[in-house]
Parts: sequence; structure tokens; C-alpha cells
Amino acid sequence: MRTRTSASVAAVAGVLALPLALTGCSAFGVGDDSGDGGTVTLTFQSLAYQDTTIAATQDIVDAWNEANPDVQVELVQGSWDNVHDQLVTQFQGGTAPDVIHDESADIMGFAEQGYLADLSPYLGDDTKAAVSEDIWGTVTASDGSVVAAPTLLQSYVVFANTDAFADAGVALPTGESLAWDDFQGLAAQLAADGGFGLGWGLQQPTAAVMNLALGFDGTFFDGDQITVGDDELAVPERIHAMAYDDASLDPVSLTQSGSDVLPGFFDGTYPMYVAGNYIAQQITESAPEGFNWAVLPPLAGTAGATQAANPQTMSVAAESEHVEEAAAFIDFFMQADHQAALAQGDWLIPSSTAARDLVAEQTAGDNGWDAILASGEGLSAAPFQSAVNYPQWKDQYATPALQQYLADEITVDELRTQLTDGWNDLG
Amino acid sequence: MTALAAPAPPRARRRSAEGRDAWLLVLPALLPVMLFSVYPLVYGVALGFTDAQAGLNAETHFNGLDNYAALAGNELFWNSFKIGLVWAFSVTALQFLASLGLALLLNLDLRLRWLARTLALIPWAMPPVIIAIMWQLMLNPNYGPVNRTLETLGLPSSVNWLGESAIALPVVIVVGVWAGMPQTTITLLAGLQSVPAELNEAAAIDGASTWRRFWHVTLPALRPIVTAITTLDLIWNFNSFALVFVLTAGGPGGTTMLPSLFAYNEAFRYGNFGYAAAMGNVMVVLIGAFLFLYLRAQMRRRHQ
Amino acid sequence: MTKRSPATRPLQYLALAAYMAFLGFPLVFLLTTAFKTDREIRSPDPAFLPQSLNLDNFTAAIERADLFRAAGNSLLTAATTTAIVTAVALPAAYALVRFRTRLRAAATGWILLSQVFPFILIIIPLFLLLKNIGLVNTLLGLVLVYAVWALPFALWMLQGYVAAIPVELEEASAVDGAGRFKTLRKIVLPLLAPGLVATSLFTFINSWNEFFFALVLIQDPDMQTLPLALARFVGAEGQVQLGPLAAAALLACLPSLVFFMLIQKRLTAGLLSGAVKG
Repeated sequence: MRTRTSASVAAVAGVLALPLALTGCSAFGVGDDSGDGGTVTLTFQSLAYQDTTIAATQDIVDAWNEANPDVQVELVQGSWDNVHDQLVTQFQGGTAPDVIHDESADIMGFAEQGYLADLSPYLGDDTKAAVSEDIWGTVTASDGSVVAAPTLLQSYVVFANTDAFADAGVALPTGESLAWDDFQGLAAQLAADGGFGLGWGLQQPTAAVMNLALGFDGTFFDGDQITVGDDELAVPERIHAMAYDDASLDPVSLTQSGSDVLPGFFDGTYPMYVAGNYIAQQITESAPEGFNWAVLPPLAGTAGATQAANPQTMSVAAESEHVEEAAAFIDFFMQADHQAALAQGDWLIPSSTAARDLVAEQTAGDNGWDAILASGEGLSAAPFQSAVNYPQWKDQYATPALQQYLADEITVDELRTQLTDGWNDLG
Repeated sequence: MTALAAPAPPRARRRSAEGRDAWLLVLPALLPVMLFSVYPLVYGVALGFTDAQAGLNAETHFNGLDNYAALAGNELFWNSFKIGLVWAFSVTALQFLASLGLALLLNLDLRLRWLARTLALIPWAMPPVIIAIMWQLMLNPNYGPVNRTLETLGLPSSVNWLGESAIALPVVIVVGVWAGMPQTTITLLAGLQSVPAELNEAAAIDGASTWRRFWHVTLPALRPIVTAITTLDLIWNFNSFALVFVLTAGGPGGTTMLPSLFAYNEAFRYGNFGYAAAMGNVMVVLIGAFLFLYLRAQMRRRHQ
Repeated sequence: MTKRSPATRPLQYLALAAYMAFLGFPLVFLLTTAFKTDREIRSPDPAFLPQSLNLDNFTAAIERADLFRAAGNSLLTAATTTAIVTAVALPAAYALVRFRTRLRAAATGWILLSQVFPFILIIIPLFLLLKNIGLVNTLLGLVLVYAVWALPFALWMLQGYVAAIPVELEEASAVDGAGRFKTLRKIVLPLLAPGLVATSLFTFINSWNEFFFALVLIQDPDMQTLPLALARFVGAEGQVQLGPLAAAALLACLPSLVFFMLIQKRLTAGLLSGAVKG
């Protein structure tokens, strides 16, 4: 630093003047960008992640802007990883985007806090009819207002390394669904040579357990009452049994994230791999040459192949000055051809039936699409989605307790106690 | 310093006049900047005495000490506080020792010193989020380079570093030390450079050994800087957020749930701003009390 | 630096090499990852070195995340922050140490409070403040926040460096008849230079790396800073586009490293000989 102290006077004076100078400096982005008179500008924060989805989103926005010169949509790119924190701050500051892309599990808290507009008076009949009542249930707040349009869905599916199946002489299961008992049997068969039958990245176990529990009628909540019975615990108990009784599921994989486990699926360590269906995208992109895989039929418990749905959502901020225009844009966004394009980019399942048919037609069911789309049929709303203290219970009690149980550090009775007492502590 | 100048009263008077001049120079620049931090801080502290919650047009009321009464019985918070203390003290102490060693080496006239000094900065050149993602990959139990290197060396190579509750915290502490070493190293290196060479030379002429010179000359001269950086490191580590948030998100089984993560969840995920701010206040009071004692002890030593 | 047993030097080099391995290994890992294809990264049997020097990740990083523009924004923000903080903190720190007043206790209290109170809880009031004065979605708002939050640190550290300079040096110079500013310039500043470099480096890098406040304050894609651009490669549920992320992270940390390589010499104190006699 060559600064001379005798120059410090000048420096200090300079600093005092700096903010004034900067205010006029366009490089700092200070300035007013209010739109031209008459034109409405909506900001739309999209969380599209895959290149293809980003491009598809841009296409939809461009098409809208061309067709609606009076209502221009400005696309802002957000990221799934931080959208929650960003929205909390922006809602507090009143600077949230007009149109908000997020997921049902995340926005229902905002909805109860009054930050999201009720869209039911504005959404078109086509949009309303395209999605099943069950899925609408996941975006309906406790006062009956519809706070989002559900766009894309994910489900947990079983991926199979078909070459590993062939080597082990195990036939690929077929049929409408795959019962958990059969699934466990498959894993044991594949592990018979001393290896593992399956890898499952369950570092954050709660969502998977809660969603799959619905297949056993494991509802957990009835209003604000918790019940942790055999139905609720069926999924964690079966996972635990595979890991520690049958030794068919690698317990190390249970402590890792889904992508951490993927290489083990590629090299045959894990002939089966359970993950969100969107992982199919990563498999097509990064699997070794000549890797052969399939998606097995959806997992079914005693109550069928049912899972809780956590759709991606399009909402409008309650403080937006243009709720009606924003809802019109969402209608446009929900059109079957748009949803089909987005779904294929992210390898997700459209919530709209027409879009689902379109995807089936466009992909011809290849690359596991037929099984992925089939798993979408069993998705519905679950009671935990409307339990007010659910996020806190999930972080503070359910996740640590499930992690400990799946690491074989506590018994199933201790798990039951921790889940129940934790909820009651939150009162 | 005016007391020191007692034998020369005219100079002392001149000094205090200059002191006023200095304040005149400093305050106008300092004040606006301070105001910008005082308002949010006061707001944040005051929030800790309210029932503020997230919500459109949500009303906020002062509720006195209700938050603190609730907090006193919140076992999870105190558990997380304990984890925070273990984490902050371990990281700070290890960081200090490792950095002091490195700073002493970098202060020597070794070959390629410029390169070593630059490389020592690597952890600093990456945002914490990237550091966390990178270490996750490095520590991957099956395919990470750490276990692969151990395997090559014939050592146990199937440790699941971040996944076992018994070792997750120590492993996260090592990553914390790695991530924070540059700031401590550079600070100490700069401090070593400020130790007037004459002091060392004088001691060397007196025939003092390297170790004795370090202990009796270098370290005492370095003390103000050591105090300053260990204090700050402790505070920063206690408040550390992004690194652990991405690395483990508090898991497995809550064993790495630092208090800042805990307070963050309370505010950002459950929307209890008032209660979360109360946690912040408790952290300020307890850490502040500790720092007060530490700094007072350091000041006394310095004046001895 | 006189007597030394012959074994000392090699041991010192060995220790330094161990440090470099510990600190540098992750960078090597990042470097190799940046040149690997997606297939190589996810390969079940990963080779340490990439199969070829494939630059796809770098082009992807630069194009998709608009890395250069983001770097420009980060540079502007970090450099302005550093200039402000240094200019304000240097005289203030000197005054706080050399002129003991009650303000010093107040300043110390404020410094510690501002660092102990979890930053994450101050973000909302800070955001409201910036919104009220119209600085949301501006880099100036970021500069203001970073400066305000780096200032306590800079003041605190510079106080330590000033305190480490023996008052006797200044007094000796004053006895020699040098005026106050001359004393500051000739004696204090050269001794303070390493501390000043360390402090401004710290301010610069912290602003360069800051993520969360930039996330909530900046919406306009043209004004994204580097950490925001890097976040583009991280998706939901632990999905990461590793190759482009590694390439982008590597490019993002290069300026810091080059900058540091250039100024590390300044970490060596200026002329001292003759300042103190006896």
C-alpha cells in the first residue's frame, strides 16, 4: 500500500464524496427502470435448472411476450438451493417477484402467512380441468384458497442395472406395480453373491419416508394429532431390515445423497438404485457407454402404489399489483404443449393429464418414460402437507431420528418415541 | 498515552489537540457507516423481545422476557449451543496453532516463498459453498480421493467421514480449520513482519536460542495481534454458517447443528423472527461475557 | 537468523511441503475435475487425471453463467468496498489506539456486538433499510453492506497492528524533531503496511465471496456477482453440475490468487533500520 498518511485527508474527503459520485454511476446499477406508460411488466422467477428446461422456459416467455404486447414478462433466474431464503427476505421486504416458481412443500408455509394470492377466481377452466382434484389438494391452503398451479411432479422410482440383473440371473419384474415384499426379495436375490442388491441415498430421509408411507396408509397426521403406528413405520422398518438383517442394502449409501450413490449404480455395486425419477436425466447424461438400465414398476405397499405428491408450483405474490395478468400468464404456462416440453427437459411428470399424454406420445415411452409416467398416476396429497408445524418437526425431530435409526443407532421403538414426543413438544 | 507523556507536558497538550484533529478527520467518515450497522443491529436485538413472526401484515408485540423463558427450556437449542462451543473452540485453537507454524515458515527466507505464500491462500479464494461441495466429494466414502489415498497407503479406507455421528463433528472441524487458515496465517505473518527486526537481532546478539527468542521476544511482540485474531476467529467460527450448512446441514442425527444453523432455521424456515433474534441475543451475551474476560486478561498481560 | 543446525533447513522445507499438500490438494482436485467430462466424474472408478484436456466445462461455465460479467460486477463491488474500508479504518484505528478515549470502549463494544450477533438475523432489517433508500437491486447497496460489515473487522485488526508498533519509535522520531505527519509517514506506515495489506486483502476477499446478501439483494441477472453465478450449477436435492462448477470455481478463484501473488511482497515490512537506536 503506497498510501501516504499526508494523503489521508484527501482520502477521507474522497470517501465522503464517493457515495454521491456512485449514485450517479450507472455501473452500479442505480437507477429507475419503471416501465413505459400502459404496459404492465411482470417479473417471473424461474428455477429451471437443466439447460433444456431453461431454454424451454425462455421459449414460453418469448411466445407470451409476443402475443401480449401489453403484459410483458421479465424472466429472472433463481435457484432451487436458495429459493426459500430468498423468498422469506423478499416477502418481508415487499420485493418478491410477481410470478413465483417453487414447490408445494415450500410454499404452503408462505400461503398460511398470507404472502400468496388466491388464484381460484382467475385461473381458466382448462387449467383447472387438466389437473386431478388430488393434486389440487396439495396447493390448497387451509382457508380453501388455491395458492398455486401445480406444474411438474416427481416420484420415487427404482432404477435397475439390467446387465447386473442378467448376470445374476434375476428376471426384471414386470406388471403394474412392484410390491415392497417382492422388491425386498429382488434385493436379497441380487445380493446373494455377497454384494449388495441396492443403494439408496437417504442422507435427508424424511421426504422419502413420508412420501412412500402413503403406500401403506401411513398418514402420520390427523389434523394436528400425530400417529406413529405400524403403517407409518413400515417404510423405515423395511429399509432397516434390508440394510441390517438381509444385508442387501448398503448402509453407507443411506448416509449419502442420491448423486453420491450414482457411481455405485453405474459400476454394478448396486444393481438397483432408488431415487427421484428426475435422476433419469443424470443417468442418460453421465452413465458409462453401453450402460443398460430400466425403471421398475412403481413400488406398492399394502395400500397400493401411492406416494405423496409434491408438485412444482407457479404462484402469484399477494402484493403483486397485477394478480389477474399474472394468473393469465400461468394459464398460458400450464398449456399442455408447454408443460410437456418442460417435463421432458427436467425428466419430471406433468400434473396435467393432457401434457402427460403428450409426453408419452413424444417420448414413445423410451428411456424409462413409460414407467415414470405410470408412477405419476399414484401421486396424491398427504395429510403431513397441511400440518402447520411439519417443517420444524421435520428438521428438529424427524430427520435426526430417522438418520439415527437408519444408521442402526436407535431402535424402532426409540424412533417412534422421538417422532411422537417431538411433535407433541412443538405443541 | 497521555499518562506516558507526563514528563513533557507541552508535548502532551499538543498531542491531545492533535487527537481532536484526528477525531474530526475520522468521525465524519465513520459515522454514516456506523449508522448503517447500528440500525439493523439495534433492530435485531430489539426483535428478540417481541413475538415477531413472518406473515403479511403480521402484528408484532413486545413480550418482555417470554422468549427467554421459552428458550431456557429448549433443550435442542442448548444442545446446539454446546456443539457450537466445541466447534468454535476447537477450530480456533487448531487454526491458530497450524497458522502460527505456517506463518513462521513463510516468514523465513526460503526458496519459492512467493509461491508458498500464494498457495497458502487457496482456501480463501473460494466461496464457502464451493469449499463445502468440494470437501463432500473429497470425503465421499466410496469414490473420494481421501479414502482412495488411504487405500493406496494400505490404511483403513472405508470410513464414512460425514455420515457417522461419532466422527462427523471432528471431520467438519478439520474442514473448518482448512477453510479458515488463510486469514489467520496472513494476519500472523503480517504481524511477524511488524515485529521490529532489531528486537530479534538484539536478542540474538545476547546469544538467545531460536526457541527462546520466539518465546520471549517474538510472541510477546505479537500478542496484540494474536489477541485480535483469536478473538475474531472465535466469534466467526461460533457464527459460522455457510460451510456447515452445505456440508452436513446439521446432520447426521443433529450432531453438527451449530447455533447459527439453529437460529437460521427458526427464523427462515419456521418464520419465528422474534424467537430467533432472542437466540441471537443469548449468543451475544454469553460469547460477549467470555470475550470480555479473555480480552481483559490479555490487556492486563500486555500492561505488565 | 544466525546460528542454525544444518538439519533445520530441510526440516523447514519438509514442514512447508506438508502444509502446501494439505492446503493445495483440494485445488488440484478441483483442477483435475474441471477438465473431466461428466462421464469421467461420475465414473465408478475415477482416474485422478482427466483423460484429455477437454475445455467443454470452461466454455459451459463462461457462457451459461455469464462468468465474465459476473466477475466484473464482483471486482467492482469488492474493490470499491476495500477502498472505502481502508480509507475509513486506517485513520480511525490509529486514533483509537493512540488517543485513549471513552469512544474506544464504545467502539470495541460495537465491533464485537456486530460480529457476534448472527449476520443471518440482521439480513432482514438491513434489507428493509436498503429498500427504503432505494438501493435494492444495486451494486451500491452491496458495497454499502459489505463496507459496513467489513469495517468492524478492519478497525479491530488494524488496532492490533498499530498497538504492536512500539510507541517509543514514534516518540524517538518526535524527539528528532519530525512532525506528526512525517512520523506517521516515515515510521508508522511502513511498519503498518503488512497489516494494511492483510486487512484490505481480507476485506476484498470477503466481499468477493459473499453470497447470501447478494442473493436477496440482486435480482437483475446483469448485476449478478460471481458466487451467484456459481450457484447456477447447484440444483435441488444435492444435484450438482460438477464439471462446469469446478471450471467456474477455478476461474473465479484465479483473480484472487493472482492478485495475492502480486501483492504478497508487500507483506514484508518496509525499511526499519535506523528507526530505533539502542
